[in-house]
Amino acid sequence: MTIASTIIAGTPVFGRMFSVDKSTGLEEINAWPALMIMASFIWLAVAGLLGLVMPATQMFDLDSGHFYTTLTLHGAALAFPFSFQLMVGVGLHRSGGCVGKPITGWLPAMCFITMNLGAALLTVAVLMGFKVSLVVMFPLPLVGAQMGIWSMNAVILGFTGIYLVLACMILLYPLLGLSMLFFGKKRQDLVLSERSLNDPGMLGMTLSALTLLIAGLPLVVVGTTLLLALYGVIPMSMAAWAAEPVVFQYCFYIFAHNLMEAMALMVSSAMYATLPLYLADGTRKLFSDKLANTALWILLLTSVTSFLHHFITFYPNQPASLSYWGNIMSWGTGIGAAISIFTVLATIWQHGLRAEPGIIAVLLGWALYILDGASAIVTSNVAWAYVLHGTMWQSGHTMTVILAMSLMWMGVLYHHYPVITGRKLDPALGTWFVRLFTVGGFGAAIAMLAGGAAGMPRRFADWNQEGWMVYGHMIMIFGLILGASFVVYAYNLLQSRDLNEAMGQRVGAT
Amino acid sequence: MLDFLFSGWGAFWVTMGMLLPFAGMFWYVIHRKSVVDSGPGTTPRAAMSRLEGYWLTAVFVIFVTINLASLKFMPIIATARAATAGPPVQEVAVTATSWTYEMSSRQVETGKPVRFSARAKDTQHGFAVYHPDGRMLFTMLMMPGVSKPTTVVHTFSDPGTYKIRCLEYCGIAHHGMKDELTVVKSNAAT
Repeated sequence: MTIASTIIAGTPVFGRMFSVDKSTGLEEINAWPALMIMASFIWLAVAGLLGLVMPATQMFDLDSGHFYTTLTLHGAALAFPFSFQLMVGVGLHRSGGCVGKPITGWLPAMCFITMNLGAALLTVAVLMGFKVSLVVMFPLPLVGAQMGIWSMNAVILGFTGIYLVLACMILLYPLLGLSMLFFGKKRQDLVLSERSLNDPGMLGMTLSALTLLIAGLPLVVVGTTLLLALYGVIPMSMAAWAAEPVVFQYCFYIFAHNLMEAMALMVSSAMYATLPLYLADGTRKLFSDKLANTALWILLLTSVTSFLHHFITFYPNQPASLSYWGNIMSWGTGIGAAISIFTVLATIWQHGLRAEPGIIAVLLGWALYILDGASAIVTSNVAWAYVLHGTMWQSGHTMTVILAMSLMWMGVLYHHYPVITGRKLDPALGTWFVRLFTVGGFGAAIAMLAGGAAGMPRRFADWNQEGWMVYGHMIMIFGLILGASFVVYAYNLLQSRDLNEAMGQRVGAT
Repeated sequence: MLDFLFSGWGAFWVTMGMLLPFAGMFWYVIHRKSVVDSGPGTTPRAAMSRLEGYWLTAVFVIFVTINLASLKFMPIIATARAATAGPPVQEVAVTATSWTYEMSSRQVETGKPVRFSARAKDTQHGFAVYHPDGRMLFTMLMMPGVSKPTTVVHTFSDPGTYKIRCLEYCGIAHHGMKDELTVVKSNAAT
């Protein structure tokens, strides 16, 4: 039994959901992904509870500091140790099965440790008072310490946590993914569904890993310099260049923006791989691999430099030409999305669909991603950026992209779950999860976009003015529905049954 | 019409205008091909390719049209024009510090371009101006340590009291960082 399987077996409640099947000889590709997926659901539970605290602080008029504490933790927990780690877990399992290579050794272990230890350290720092939102808002961490709002120890701890999380996302995970794709010996006994790099289901994974590695390197250099200075290894004067707000912010957004694009590439790729498996006529092929790959390449090429749209309202410090470039490239991603829409719908139209909860979750997550994409390109237009930047529109966009990808990966997990655990999920509960998630996800997204259209500020503890609370109530109601969908999903995992056992009638089964 | 389109609510309805046809198409295809008739489609490949061409052309034309129409509403262009020519500009210098604004003037006139030049002293701040009816007119992002102030030129058309808010999270009293700007009727206009 591997260390990962042992940790899962020793984890209460969540361990039951993901205990690894050892009877198939596939433990080498099942164990670490299962542990990462399990850890991501633990963080989801933490994020969900924190999400409840945010409206509570406003409803019961509690100290606004609690709002900013939960805002920072809720966002960070959802984006990194939940969503990203879920992607890593399911994505690695998919890669392992496609290329027939084991997921063992120090790299997956380090991925797991850096992500979860980093997230835990950041959590402790936030509980010590470090409230910077999930995007750090540099130089706020240092200014907060200078103003005495939080301690320098909290800053050092928080930065250490963020650095470990980034090390996982920028270095370890891409290296692990690329090493599996390009190095090592294929083992036929581990091949579940062989794919080549020309397959749209694999191309996106490669592009995604490369994007994370390349787009993240500037931030690694800046982060390393700052951390060395904070620990006193180098004098602060040597780190002054990295502490320049403009340097940090641009490096941060080159990475953060492309992180979302890399996750989109990865999940689009997973959809291209999963959809053909559920076609009604059994063809197991997309309408056109060439079109699917073209969409991925367009998304990659246009998205890399579209991060400039984050600084449109910084004119003239960001020159107008760069803002126009960010505007045009952002709308270029829409062309990639249009090709992707055609490919997916044409595939279903030509071959029919077996509408099982897993693939429906993937497709609805993708539909949510299209809504998110539309909101993103709109706010990337220079004219609209000036009336939307800094509003709830942006929060809606960030939350929706994370939700969309989470729903897609949770859908893909339906497909992988029996291989990992040797157990199956209840389709009726799966259908309820999809229904609730769709209502909650689309409802929360549209409510947040509407709040942004009405000028409601993001990361703002006082919604009860200018009639904004109506959007606050809608966000809370749809958020609770989303929470209910996660509870149903978790309940389904807890109630999973042996593959040979008959599935009884469950809630909502017809 | 275009004024509304390039406002916050205009952005919302354009987004919904993209979502709703997609959602309709998405639901129709999935329902039709998984519930009504999941058998193989009979549409010839050539017809599908034509459809692909029409679809991508339509998307491209819509995208280009929207972006060209937006040129008139880009504050960057008005700001750049005011820097070189145009009517006299009222200057308002702003310095943002956690959690207040220092402004060289809190009163401006309608009909005359106002140039807001804003700097952040300590950390990132925003400077968003809201119309008395609640609409956000524009926002600016300021970072400390830059040589030039963030700049927007805006011409107010309605007199009244305009709210100013910071839209960049700047710490535990961020939500309290606000101010007001009074816009009075221009003497020239009366």
